[in-house]
Amino acid sequence: MTHKATEVTIVAEKVIQEQIVEIIERAGATGYTILEGSGKGQHARRTHERPSVAGDAFDIVKIEAILGDRAAAEQVADEVANTLFTHYSGIVYLEEVEILRRARFWR
Amino acid sequence: MEALADFALTFVGQLQKPTLAFLLGGMLIAALGSKLVIPDAVYRFIVFMLLMRIGLAGGMEIRNAEPGDIFLPALIAVAVGCVIVILGRAVLPRLPGVKVEDGIATAGLFGAVSASTLAAAMVVLDEEGVGYEAWVPALYPFMDIPALVLAIVFAGIHQQRQSGAHKRVRIWPIVADSLRGSALSALLLGLLLGLFTRPESVFDSFYDPLFKGLLSVLMLIMGIEAYARLAELRRVAHWFALYAFVAPLVHGLLAFGLGTLAHYATGLSPGGVILLAVIASSNSDISGPPTLRAAIPAANPSAYIGSSTSIGTPMAIAVGIPLYLSLGHWVFGL
Repeated sequence: MTHKATEVTIVAEKVIQEQIVEIIERAGATGYTILEGSGKGQHARRTHERPSVAGDAFDIVKIEAILGDRAAAEQVADEVANTLFTHYSGIVYLEEVEILRRARFWR
Repeated sequence: MEALADFALTFVGQLQKPTLAFLLGGMLIAALGSKLVIPDAVYRFIVFMLLMRIGLAGGMEIRNAEPGDIFLPALIAVAVGCVIVILGRAVLPRLPGVKVEDGIATAGLFGAVSASTLAAAMVVLDEEGVGYEAWVPALYPFMDIPALVLAIVFAGIHQQRQSGAHKRVRIWPIVADSLRGSALSALLLGLLLGLFTRPESVFDSFYDPLFKGLLSVLMLIMGIEAYARLAELRRVAHWFALYAFVAPLVHGLLAFGLGTLAHYATGLSPGGVILLAVIASSNSDISGPPTLRAAIPAANPSAYIGSSTSIGTPMAIAVGIPLYLSLGHWVFGL
């Protein structure tokens, strides 16, 4: 038996990872997943295999969180876009997903 | 004229030494499209090893050093770090096409210190048989932290003027962030271990013998990355490239001058003066860029990281180190 939920995905600079996680937790998410990544966006090509001579200033992460409540997911997306993406690079999108074990996604 | 000839000779001599040869070799293979990549974990480990070695040696020597001898060079380090940022703040934003925030962040990065450049200079001095106090390399946080803090404060003031909103720049979190960073943590732990414990056996058998070899790998990495980051620099104003060419030498000469005063005032060794110049000449890698990216979000990282990694660091290593070395020959008759 599956249930509807909303997944919010954020691909952004690693330097703002902590701030994003804070927003996600404040919105009531019970968990999230962070993946290191490589890729190309409007600003730069980014790789995570190369030696990080510039520290992690050029690294990107993909942060995924599934929220049982769509409004909460939208709130995360808006807050990230409005407060962090004014100066830092990143994208954010929402997806409708079907989850099992609904209790895992509700606090 | 004679000094110039000496510099040319020193420079050509250094080209054949491992430090510079590996740096240029890295640039060459990157330019030829080589796929050689030294893994990030290895890079981070090498930086840790070098800083631990610097910290241990410094700590062990501070045990027997006069605190008074260290005070003046440390003060010079703080002063030079601040002057570099003030100078950069005054000059860079006046250049056409340079955004104020980008200029401030670049000045901050050039005021901050690179462990790799510092380690390269230590190996060069060792090979030339030029002695120095082991605590001089450990002075690096005294220049690094004030430069980063001052740049971030300048950026905060500028932002306030722009927006009119009063938001105080909190200094302590920046200092704490720098101290907790991977580079300074290793250095400070090494200092403490050298100062309060007896790490001689691991130092002599492990950290010290590996220093030169690991540095050659690090120089290769710096060369490869310097070339790889040139693309970033092409996308920002050309003035950054010019600044990155000139600034390391100006900063080094300033510190060399002040270091020479310390030589006559408190007996700082000629090798110590040269290292102080190299610390000033260098621009931060690994720990400075993320600190600035987090604290000055409006600044474009391509501007400051591009100019530092692809031009500033090679200049400091390839031209700066031989320059201060030949100045040392000339001023102190080394």
